[in-house]
Amino acid sequence: MRVIVKSFATLREIFGGTGMLYLELPEGSTIEDLLEKLREQYGSKLDVGKLVGENPNVKILVNGREITYLNGLRTRLRDGDSVAFIPPVAGG
Amino acid sequence: MGTQSPSYRRSQEDKLSPEELERYDRQLRLLGFGIESQLKLKRARVLVVGVGGLGSAAALYLASAGVGLLRIIDDGYVELSNLNRQILYDTGDIGKRKVDVAAKRLRDLNPEIEVEALGEKLTEENVREMLSNADLAVDCLDNFRTRFILNDACVELEKPLIHGAIYGAEGRLMTIIPGMGPCLRCLIPHEPTEHDKIPVLGPLPGIVGALEALEAIKVITGLGEPAIGKLIVIDGMDLSFHTIEIKRNPNCPACRKIK
Repeated sequence: MRVIVKSFATLREIFGGTGMLYLELPEGSTIEDLLEKLREQYGSKLDVGKLVGENPNVKILVNGREITYLNGLRTRLRDGDSVAFIPPVAGG
Repeated sequence: MGTQSPSYRRSQEDKLSPEELERYDRQLRLLGFGIESQLKLKRARVLVVGVGGLGSAAALYLASAGVGLLRIIDDGYVELSNLNRQILYDTGDIGKRKVDVAAKRLRDLNPEIEVEALGEKLTEENVREMLSNADLAVDCLDNFRTRFILNDACVELEKPLIHGAIYGAEGRLMTIIPGMGPCLRCLIPHEPTEHDKIPVLGPLPGIVGALEALEAIKVITGLGEPAIGKLIVIDGMDLSFHTIEIKRNPNCPACRKIK
């Protein structure tokens, strides 16, 4: 299955230009699996776990709903799901 | 405090002059707005913290809407690199103190209102005094540290705070009414890393600053539904607006004590 990952602000700069990323994942994958996949892909560049998964400042949304109100990092993904990583920003 | 005010203002808080009726004519025509809303704006005292990109747009719209007292705070001076987004300032203002230029511009825009210019940094020591007798604060800051100081004081004094922030082509907005919804520390539980000289596409602080002014007007007049417990995330690149539900953190170090 394929999911869309959309990253914002400082994370966008790390994950690359447009902020949109398409990832192929096995059926039944969770957010945790997605983070693992990103870690494989960007492993040398960043610690995805620390930046996203273990950082309560970063909101993780699946189809617009924050995973805190779904099943957290164990939230299951489906084909076509859109996952967003939204860190806080401070510019003014 | 550097105040300049038409001396009749305080005594005329319960009515609008013919000039004011004309100045505010288009908003007075808004369904549900009316004279009473305009008088609420006239009686309102609003703190605008930071007059950079966000503060330029927010202060201009609050002044033009007729907020009776605007207290603007910033310790900065106008720099050439400000001018892609800080629309209060002209090229000829480079090197001048921001609050002085801003106060003059706002008074020129609307002589009916009072503008207080404070050329200081907001700190834990002075924040309560700056908030004293203010009805509402607008966060137009450029760093997390000072935002938390402002948030904590607003929560403690139970004053509404309009939070806005930007990065690149993105914006964030949330209206904080202590006790009614989450505060900034519920939204951002850990102190994040500060970034200096971030990228900014000029229209973004304009959009978010204008939305902050809109939220402030709504809270003051009681019109509409302010974005309490809703983080609005704006992505200018695909022009999408996302609304994320944010809940109060029952263990929030700032607002857990408020019922």
